[in-house]
Parts: sequence; structure tokens; C-alpha cells
Amino acid sequence: MVSFADTEDRDAAAPSGRTAIALDDLFGGFRRYWMWGSLALQDMKLRYRGSIIGPFWVTISTLVMIVAMGFIYPHLFHSPPISYIPYLGLGLIVWQLISSLITEGCASFTAADSIIQQVPIPFSIHVYRVVCRNFMVFAHNLLLVPLGIVAFGITLHWNLIEALAGCAVLALNGVAVGLLLGILSTRFRDIAPIVASFLQVAFFVTPIFWPIEALGGYRPIGELNPLFCAIDVIRAPLLGVPITSSSWPVLLGTTAVACAFAFAMFARFRSRIAYWI
Amino acid sequence: MAFIHLDDVAVEFPIYSGGSRSLRKLVLSATTQGNIGKDAQDRLAVLALSDIDLDLRHGERLALIGANGAGKSTLLKVLAGIYQPTRGRFRKSGRVSALLTSSVGLIPDATGRENILARGMYMDIHPREMRARFDEIVEFTELGYHIDMPVRTYSSGMVIRLCFAVATAFPPDILLMDEWLAAGDAGFLAKARQRMDGFVARSNILVLASHSMPLLEEWCNRAILLESGHIVAAGTVAEVAERYQGPIAAPAAEPVAASA
Repeated sequence: MVSFADTEDRDAAAPSGRTAIALDDLFGGFRRYWMWGSLALQDMKLRYRGSIIGPFWVTISTLVMIVAMGFIYPHLFHSPPISYIPYLGLGLIVWQLISSLITEGCASFTAADSIIQQVPIPFSIHVYRVVCRNFMVFAHNLLLVPLGIVAFGITLHWNLIEALAGCAVLALNGVAVGLLLGILSTRFRDIAPIVASFLQVAFFVTPIFWPIEALGGYRPIGELNPLFCAIDVIRAPLLGVPITSSSWPVLLGTTAVACAFAFAMFARFRSRIAYWI
Repeated sequence: MAFIHLDDVAVEFPIYSGGSRSLRKLVLSATTQGNIGKDAQDRLAVLALSDIDLDLRHGERLALIGANGAGKSTLLKVLAGIYQPTRGRFRKSGRVSALLTSSVGLIPDATGRENILARGMYMDIHPREMRARFDEIVEFTELGYHIDMPVRTYSSGMVIRLCFAVATAFPPDILLMDEWLAAGDAGFLAKARQRMDGFVARSNILVLASHSMPLLEEWCNRAILLESGHIVAAGTVAEVAERYQGPIAAPAAEPVAASA
């Protein structure tokens, strides 16, 4: 339907404009927050159409998982349930956000194939839509947090602000991952299954549901894991404990690399996405 | 003023047959020098359009004529800004609205109303502006209470009405339409024609691809004939239609790719 730029002048022989076009796409897309916002909302509506409690299924299934694991795992790790359960719960909630950003990021363009084939809206809109939708799910899970804070008598500190900053950084990473994996899996259709199996491994080797202290002398392995760092900057403040000192540097470093890669990839292959779909 | 200018435009499609879609095979073929993952090499490229020079000015209504696979839809997608030409230069000015495939892009489980908003958004129209035009659009579609039913319950004619109504609710400068439009019934076509007349009278551009010569002759004032990606003839619709011997005897015989 309508082009996002009313006037266009595209010369196939002039690749110099790629960076400008990619930036234009990213910012032009972001400015249309009403577009990706309502598309994300529509995704949520359609996903839960016909169900009575709707998106609160997300909250309930997370709660069930936390309760079930919360009964068994404290015995496995010999840690008191009162400190373990909030750790586990927040770990699972943030992990769910990260893993769904990554898996759904793979499909950011392939899932929008019919739109891409029909209208020249900025490609970044499809990525913002995925990120926004996943943060909506995350928000439903976050409803459990005040519950936990009261139930387990957690005292919060000023570093709660860092958890907010952590969410913003995760959103940025979600965009980078959605661009990068989105383009890759448009071209190579086996990226998504590869990523899915990688995530399964990552879930078990990252200190999400097991305490990082359990690593003992090998603790740096956990502390340098960017996935742990991403969880830590949100989880620690909500548990009322300080963030591990390595978490921010590692997370920000990873973010910078991811963004640089994603942008280079997007600038280079943006015009090919419609052909690969 | 709206214009479209294509200068020596070519579009080359990569065809990734099974194997070259797979990263594993690409890696394998790189590490084994093509012994194992041989099929990763069978990258074909199809030249869907080549040497396309085209100038369209305000008030022109262009008919795209050609057999299936001649490049009509690809050309429309280039004009819509979906495919960036792999060679040549593409310039245009004006707000484009394209009706390429009818049902694709509609959300089957959402109601007609929700789909109007969604399609409007893809056209860069804020839901607020779209809601302001709601009554007008619904009236044009003649869908009545069906507008609150899921789109999967619609007939193909209803889908066409809905899409056409939305695409033309905010008159674009350039309107691109693929052949499926002809699937509408006589009543709808007359109504659509009326809307188009007003639209073209405002000096806008229409590009229409169809196999129905009577429809093209009625709607268009210029035509080009495409044959395997090349423009092989240009002129008035009657002239070009004569050159195009093929389905002229049975203009409506071509199965129209509507919302099947």
C-alpha cells in the first residue's frame, strides 16, 4: 500500500546510500510507535482470542512453574526456599523474556512475509513489533513480582532503577537480535531450529534456576555469561541485593557488539529481505 | 505532481532450491569443497524484469498486459517499492497505494473492522484517522453487519470490496492494482469504476494488470505488453491487445487468483 517515503530515488548502482537508508528505516520505523504498538497489541489479542482469562494464562503458567520447581529444587541445591524461590522466580521470568525475544526474533521477517510482500513499510517495524509484544508478555509475568515481594518480605533499595535500565538495555538487544537473526533466518531457514536448540542448552548452563554460588571456584564462568548478566541486572535489584560487579560491563559490551553487527547486517542486506522472503 | 520513472530497471530473483536455504549445507560445501553439499551451489537466478524504461505522468492510466509469468506482478511490486531493482534507477513521487494480492495480509481471525484498521496502518494511516472514515468505508463495502464478523467467513467478493475500499479511502497519488480486481461482480466494478474516475480526474496515476481486455480498455488510456520480463509493445490498449494474441479470445477464461 503506501510507501513510507512518498518520494523515492533508488539507484541500484549506488550502494553508498545504504547506511542512510538503514538509519532512515530504523528511525522512521521507531517514530511509528502507534503502528508497531497496535500490531503487537493485536498479536496478543489474537493469540488469546476465545480464552476467558486471556493473556493471564502467561502469568498462571509461570506461577505453576515457579511453584513446582520451588518445591523440589531447594532440596537439590540445599538452599532455603525463602531465598531460593524469589531467585528462581525472577530468573525464570527474565529468562522467558530473553528466550522469547531470541526465538521470535528469528521470525521477525518471515512471520511478516505477507506484509513485506505487499507494503513497503520500514522493515524495522516488524522487529519493534516482536520486541513490544514480548515486553507485553513480560509485563503480565511481572504481576507476580509484587506478590513475591510481599510474600517473601523482600526489602527493595535504590538500585531498583538499575532494573529499569536493565529492561531498556534488553529491549535494545531485542531489536539488535531481531534484525540480525531475522535477516539470517530469512535467508537460511535452519537458523531458527539451531537457535532453539542453543537456547535449550543455554538455559541449563546459565545460573537461572541454580545459584551462581554453586559454581564455587568456577564462578567467573557464570559471571562472564552475558545471559546471566542480563538476568542479574534485573533480578538482583528486585531481590534487594547488589548487582554482580561484572554484570553491567559484560552486558553493555555484548550489547554494543550485537548492535554493531545488527546494523552492519541490516544496512547491507535490507534491500534483499523482500527477495528472500 | 505524481510521477514514476524507471530507467533501465532489471530485477533478478535468486531461486534458493531446498539446499541453498540451508546454512548447514552451505558450511558443508565450503569445508568439503562442494563434494557433499553440492546442492548448495545450485543457485539459480531468474531475470524477472530487464531493460524496463517507463515514464508515467499524472493522469495516465497504464494497462499491464502479458501472459502469466511475463513480469506484470513483479513490475507492480517494483513500482510499489517492495522490490528494489537489482539494476537501473527507480524514481517516483507521490503517495502509492497498491492492491497486489487480495486476501494475503488480512488476518483471517480478526473482524472486518479490525482488518480495516490493520490495513490502514500498513498504509501509514493512524487508526484515529481511519476510525473517522469508518462509516464511509463500511458503506462502500456494502458488508453491513458482516463487518463485525471474522474475515475468514467472507466470500472472495467481500474481501475484494473491503481491500478496495480501504486502499482508496484516502485517495493516493498512485494506485497499483493486480489482476484479482476482475473477480469482483458487475455491481462492485461499476462502483469501483466510479470511484476511480474521480480519482484519475484529480490527475493521479493508475497502473492496472489484468487479463480482461474489456476491463483494461474501459479503465486505461495506455498499455504496455510484457513478455518474459521485457516490454515488447506499447501504445493504446486496443493496439497492444491486438499484438497480444493469447487469451484475447477468452478474456475471462484466466482463473483469477483471488482469495482462494
